[in-house]
Order: sequence, then structure tokens, then C-alpha cells
Amino acid sequence: MKLFWLEIYKTFSRWRTYIGFGFIALIVILTEVVMKLSAGEIVNRMMRSPQKDFLIFGNVLNGWFVTAFIMNSLHFHIPFLIALVAGDMVSGEATSGTVRFLLIRPPSRYRIITAKYVATLFYTTGLVIFLGVVCILPGLALFGSGDLIAHHYGKFGIVFIPEAEIPIRMLFAFLAAIWSMTTVASIAFLLSTLVENSIGPIIGTMAVVVVFLVIGNFPFDFFWSLKPYLFTTYMVFWQRFLDDPIPWQEIVRSATILGLHSFGLFFIAFGAYARKDIKS
Amino acid sequence: MKGSSRKEVVLKTNGLSKRFAKRWAVKDLNLEVHRGDVFGFLGPNGAGKSTTIRMILTLLRPTAGSIEIFGKDLHNKRRSVLSRVCGIVEKPDFYLYLSAFKNLDILGSMTRSIRTDEIMEALDAVGLKSRAFEKVKTFSHGMKQRLGIAQALLTKPELIVLDEPTSGLDPQGMKEVRELIKKLSMENEMTIFLSSHLLSEVELVATRMAVINHGELMVQGDVSELLERETTEYSIQASPLDAAIKLIGDLPWAEVVSTENGKIEVHVSPGHSSELNRLLVTHDIDISSFYPHRTLEDFFLKVTEGTSEI
Repeated sequence: MKLFWLEIYKTFSRWRTYIGFGFIALIVILTEVVMKLSAGEIVNRMMRSPQKDFLIFGNVLNGWFVTAFIMNSLHFHIPFLIALVAGDMVSGEATSGTVRFLLIRPPSRYRIITAKYVATLFYTTGLVIFLGVVCILPGLALFGSGDLIAHHYGKFGIVFIPEAEIPIRMLFAFLAAIWSMTTVASIAFLLSTLVENSIGPIIGTMAVVVVFLVIGNFPFDFFWSLKPYLFTTYMVFWQRFLDDPIPWQEIVRSATILGLHSFGLFFIAFGAYARKDIKS
Repeated sequence: MKGSSRKEVVLKTNGLSKRFAKRWAVKDLNLEVHRGDVFGFLGPNGAGKSTTIRMILTLLRPTAGSIEIFGKDLHNKRRSVLSRVCGIVEKPDFYLYLSAFKNLDILGSMTRSIRTDEIMEALDAVGLKSRAFEKVKTFSHGMKQRLGIAQALLTKPELIVLDEPTSGLDPQGMKEVRELIKKLSMENEMTIFLSSHLLSEVELVATRMAVINHGELMVQGDVSELLERETTEYSIQASPLDAAIKLIGDLPWAEVVSTENGKIEVHVSPGHSSELNRLLVTHDIDISSFYPHRTLEDFFLKVTEGTSEI
């Protein structure tokens, strides 16, 4: 536990750690303000199609809608912010030379690497929670509350979620987002244990995420057949909590696959680092 | 081995070897460091000193052989052994964005609970108490080197392993570090294992030493004995000079090589330097200086005599 808190102290003493929080605060608040200023136009565009078939009234452009919109928009950016810290977690010690002090101490490499991984997950969790807080609180303050109109996942259509159900669904959605980002953090962490500079793991993680996303979205049969084997396919499973009915079976499957990825990646990092010769 | 053969063996390597790809960086190394030793580990650049130190401090895994510290196998008893050991490998690098105090707090508390007064005491010992709360990024190389020694002292280890501790320091800094090493050994009874490529440095602080070259042990033993055994040339400033030259010329085990600027260059057979000094004094010859010509290069040439690679 002491090692974990030492890692947390070191992580949160660096300005790099706050880039993610600063970026999120800036982009989310900016988006919300712009959405507030263009509220009429947005509602018009949103409702153009549904209003042909439904009679819609009430506060459509509300804080929950804005939150879902921002989460959908940022699911590519957040992995980068996570990789920025996770990719530096182990390799940063090699770059700075502090690894030589760290690994000659009594705690085993297993304990040190585990403490670093848990600290990485702590940061990941903190960043996603921060995203949630920054989206929801100013969102509700600026746009108020109401029912949520969401896109029906994987289908043409929309879903109406009653206001009373939204907080708990949002909570689950953010927990799922944390779970997804844990896989991204695990990739960056693994790469961080293999090299001795931070740039490689950060770029490597983003390359993996981008390539997998691109492959998964190519409209060719061959790439479609690969899709079930790409972790990015399951990364947006948080969206399924805003579906109706909630597809629990698919959620559990996605969460299990992502969890196995995270565990596997950590296990490899654990083994690789324990046997690694420190030459830097 | 005189005087230290009865002492407890603190560090022992048995056939220690390390291979990188096809190259043996260290091969079949057998070292023995006794309690209270300041053990100089000498060798030219690339000889395998840092690789050996990295294996002793568990940064590298040996390809073959084993390391015993305090009589325990390092591989099997790593935690208990390393709680009594500390060191600096190559240059001391710290978390530059943290203060000296916080750096010591973090590194020290990985070994055991550290009190604030212990940190301040360690910083005081290396003259950094007044800079305790400044970020390390503002420190000079010499200050970082001293901070490195402070972190090594913090947990009051029984064995300190230092890799080129005076590397990159100015003469004043080198002197300070040497004095600190002597002080630690004498006052705190710590065993110190230090590597260097400077024979003069080792000679000034070490009690025992080993020489390594191309990853292999060349020689190991008491510094004074080894140097006495190998050194043959001395520079002597004496008065009256003529009397000194005559006296030396009559000795079967000494030979005057040259005289220049009031100094005599003398070849002395191994084991006779003290006798020569005593003879000069007893013949009423004043000696202003009497020092050996020793360079690591000369020393290597002598200890590796017969090997073609040096």
C-alpha cells in the first residue's frame, strides 16, 4: 500500500498528469458554452427527422443529452490522455535514471510494478470520473434536466430514456467507460515496461487504438470478420447503458473481453519487467 | 589479505558471469569484501565494473555464478539482504520535479519508515541541509552526487556500493566525497564497495582492492600490499642530494634512474620502499617528498604482465 501511495504522489507531482484534466475541462466547458449559444440551431437539427414521426416536447437539449454527446465525441481523445501518463509510468523512470534507485530497494520488482499499475488505473479512473463531473454538473446547470434522447446503438432509430432512470444509467455508463479505458491504460503500461523512453509507448498505444478502430470500421468482409477479435469493438460498450432495453448479456461479454485484455496485458508486463536487465 | 582474513565476509561473488549476446561482460568473477573494508574496484572503462555492480544490486541477472551478501544468497534472500545495502549506480538521478527532502523520503521509505529528522541528518552529513526543500532540478552535478550519498546513508546500511562516486566532480568535490567515504567507513563502520578507473582515487581511500579487465579479475588484495608489490619507481626530493644519490647507489635493491630539478627518480625492488625511507632518514638526509609513480596504466601493465591485450 505504501508503494502505491508513493507512486500516486510521484504521478500527481508532475505537470504532465494534469494535461489530461486541463484538456478535458477546457474542451468540455467550451463545447457546453458553444452548445448553449447555438441551442436553437442544435435542437432544430436534432428534431428535424424525429419530429416527422413523433410529437416531441419538453427540454430536449438538456444536461444529460450534452453529456452523452460529449462522451461520444471524446472516446478517441481520452485514450491519448491516458496513454500520456500510463505510457510514462515505467519508462519515465528509465528515462530519468531513477529506475536505478528504485529497483535496488528491498521491495521486489513484482510489488513495484503492481503498485505502478494500480496507480495507473487510479489515474485512469480519476480522469474518467473528472470527465463525468465536468460534463454533468455544468451540463445540468447550463441546460437543465429532462428525458434523454439517444441514438439507438447499431440501429437507425432513437431511444427515449425517462429522466428518473438517467442518473443510474449514466453511473453505469461511466463505470463501463472506466473499464474500457483500463484496457487502453494496460496497453500503454505494457509498452512502457518494454522500452526506455515515454514517446514510444504513447505513440504505440495510439497507433494500436487507431489501427484497430480503422480496421474495425472498414466496409469490407475481411475486416468485418476481424472485428470480434479487436478490443476496440468492445470499447464503446458504455453506450449500451443508454439503450432500451439494456442488453446485459452483450455488456457482460464486452466487459469480460476487455477485462481479459487488461489482465493479460498486465500479466505480460509483470513477467517481462521482472526479468528485464536494467542497462540504462 | 593481511589483517582482513579473519573478518566477516560481507560480499562474495562466486564465478559471477554476465553475457550480453555473444560478449562476456564479466566472466568467472570471484570477489571477497570484508566487513569494514573500503573496497576499491578498479578497471578501465568497459572492463565490467558497472555490470558487476548492477548484478550486486540486482539490476542485472547474472548469466552464471552467484552473489552472497552477509552470508545469504542474494537471489533467494533479496529483500532481507537489500534492506541492509544501498548504492549509487553510475550517476545519481533523482525525481527532478521533487525536493531533495521528498526524494529522500520516497527512496528511504521503500526500505523502512523514515523520520523527518533522519532525512535532515542525512542531508546535513553531505552539506545539503539548507537546500532540503529546493527542487533537485536546481542542483549542480556535485550536489546531486552528494544527495546520492545522502540517500545511501539514510537507511544506515551496512554495505554501500558506489559506482564511480567522484565521476564528473571538480577537485574540491572529489576531495569532499573521498573524505565522506573515509568518515563513513571509520565512524559508522560501514563497508564500502566503490568502483573507479582512477588508481590514485582508490589509493587515497581504499583498504582493499580488486582489478578487473575485460570482465576478468586480474588481482585482489590489500591496497598497500598490492601497490608495494608492483610499484618500483619513486620520486624523492632530498637534501643533501649528493649524499642521497651515493647512499641509494650503494644499495643492491635500488637504482638511481635520473636526477632532475633536485629530485631523484629511483627504481626500488618490491618491498623495500619503507626501508629506503628509513635509511635516508637515519643517514641525516632530509626528505621533503617521497612518492611513488603510479598510474592505473602502469599498474595494469604490471598486473597483467604476460597478457597480450594490455
